[in-house]
Amino acid sequence: MELIGVILPDKQRLVSVIADILKGKGGIHLYLFLIGLVAGFYGIAAIFIKGHAHTINTSNLVPWGMQISTYVYFALLSTGCTFVNFFGHVFFEEKYRPFASRIIFVGIITAVAAFFSLATEMGRVDRMYMFLVSPNPTSPMFWMALWYSCYVCIITVEYINIQRGRHSVRVMWGAFFIAIITHSTLGSLLGTVSSRVYYYSALMPIYFLFIAFLTGCALTTIIAAHTVKIKRLDEAFHLTPFVILLKVGLGLALLITFWRTMTGLAGRLEGSEVFSLTLINSFVFGIVVVIIVPYLLLKMGKSADWLMFVGGFIMVTQLKARNDLVVGAFKIPVFRVYEMPEIVHYTPSVYEFLVVAASTSLVALLYIIFNRSGVFDVNTGKEVN
Amino acid sequence: MEDRDILEIMHSDLQRALKKPRNQRRWGMAIDLKKCVGCHACTTGCMSENLTPPDIHYRPVKEEEIGEFPNVSMRFLPRPCMQCDAPTCTPVCPVTATYKRDDGIVVIDYKKCIGCRYCLVACSYGARSVDVGHYYTGDMKGETYEVENSGEYGKSFKRKTHWHSPIGNARKCHFCSHRIEKGELTRCTTTCLGHATYFGDLNDPQSLIVKLIAKVNVFRYKEEMGTKPLVYYIV
Repeated sequence: MELIGVILPDKQRLVSVIADILKGKGGIHLYLFLIGLVAGFYGIAAIFIKGHAHTINTSNLVPWGMQISTYVYFALLSTGCTFVNFFGHVFFEEKYRPFASRIIFVGIITAVAAFFSLATEMGRVDRMYMFLVSPNPTSPMFWMALWYSCYVCIITVEYINIQRGRHSVRVMWGAFFIAIITHSTLGSLLGTVSSRVYYYSALMPIYFLFIAFLTGCALTTIIAAHTVKIKRLDEAFHLTPFVILLKVGLGLALLITFWRTMTGLAGRLEGSEVFSLTLINSFVFGIVVVIIVPYLLLKMGKSADWLMFVGGFIMVTQLKARNDLVVGAFKIPVFRVYEMPEIVHYTPSVYEFLVVAASTSLVALLYIIFNRSGVFDVNTGKEVN
Repeated sequence: MEDRDILEIMHSDLQRALKKPRNQRRWGMAIDLKKCVGCHACTTGCMSENLTPPDIHYRPVKEEEIGEFPNVSMRFLPRPCMQCDAPTCTPVCPVTATYKRDDGIVVIDYKKCIGCRYCLVACSYGARSVDVGHYYTGDMKGETYEVENSGEYGKSFKRKTHWHSPIGNARKCHFCSHRIEKGELTRCTTTCLGHATYFGDLNDPQSLIVKLIAKVNVFRYKEEMGTKPLVYYIV
């Protein structure tokens, strides 16, 4: 199997891309991401060297903070890429094909970036091998890790197949179903926590899948619009599938967000008041800003530049929405007594923001370098079963 | 009730229980809220026993507001780990680092725990903490007394750096399991000024704790959640 030049960038072209970067011809956004990556690595190094006590603002009352929400965000982005790859191949073949390898590649690197963020939250990341040595089948987290590994493997195979021009429908279907299993399991990781009413819901696994679809659509729209501009492809022809998928994604997100909020509001369980406490944010931000505004923006234009803006808008708002979801569960302490704050507040530290910067920059830089090395233009592909 | 000191009675209950195989014991605790004066002696005793860092209290004493205005009253509420019979924290641990022992105590294996904090999220009582590596001095290196071996679970753990367990791990009250093995009562029981804390074997009908919890004025916290806590409150 050809690795260099097909799966990975050709050595000469890679050297030329890096030489351009070193000469200052990389483009402003590349250097911004480079700065983000360096700063992010500094943050990660500080977390590992200084320890959580001196770098992270999570506490016993807010055990999961921004790193976990970033993990969730990137994991959902990855799933979304796999979903778009599936629907693109099934419903929009020719229109979708120029973007297939790019999208599935981004699916892989977002999955890796997700782990990057997760690793910084773990108290003892050096013991991750315990998942193999001492697994607990009753834990959703164990299953999530298991399926996540399978997921990264199968989307890598999907990428290799696309790059080699031997796209397999079976592998594509496999990746689609494993993505559903993996990320609904991630949803169940929160959805099964009975002590946190904000999480505890049968809707949670479905919520994760629908939101994954929306965020994946947003990211792949940016990739497609960018590719269309660079390659001077027909905008109307190639971008239509992404606009359709985005609209579907927004509709699904509206449906699940609305009913999750309504179900929560109807609850009379201990801690249910968190839903009324966050009601304004849920409606104004979670529905109006995150879903309705992007839909209106989509109605206003379909050009590549505009779609990149809309995609970027959804991605930024979704990052905050994921943080609201993860941290929201801790707003009301489970053990409510006199000295306990009625509402627990959490503000991420600079280091936590740097982890987000590291994950984002890693994805962006890898994509830009691979794209400029021309690795995605190797093959237009043919279908095999 | 016998004329002997409560601690003496509980001590002989403990010795009797220790003669049985571990799987026939079921350690439990009862806290008489009428007797608790909120002196925090149990909290302090626990901290010195387990050498817990600043933000970790296995046995805090909280103040609880009961009723609604104008019929409001307050009471002190010591909150150890409830050692639930149906715990929400153990099934979620991805690496079986936390589990319920045969004798009813929910423990954490510091050598296995990956510090994912899932158990903190799942615990219905907020009884778990994560040791992120704080020291009382606020420095990155603790004083000698802070990095000494706490002897928890009868093993040697020194908090030297953030790569040394229990730093990075979840931590919780374990009914002073290391003391029980040596035939000693839990530290909070022995330090309680008002003798408000009772400890013993719930499987022993002769034990003081069983006699106390058989009364009507006893409740278990958040019992409706189905966690079956082994800590009883007497009101």
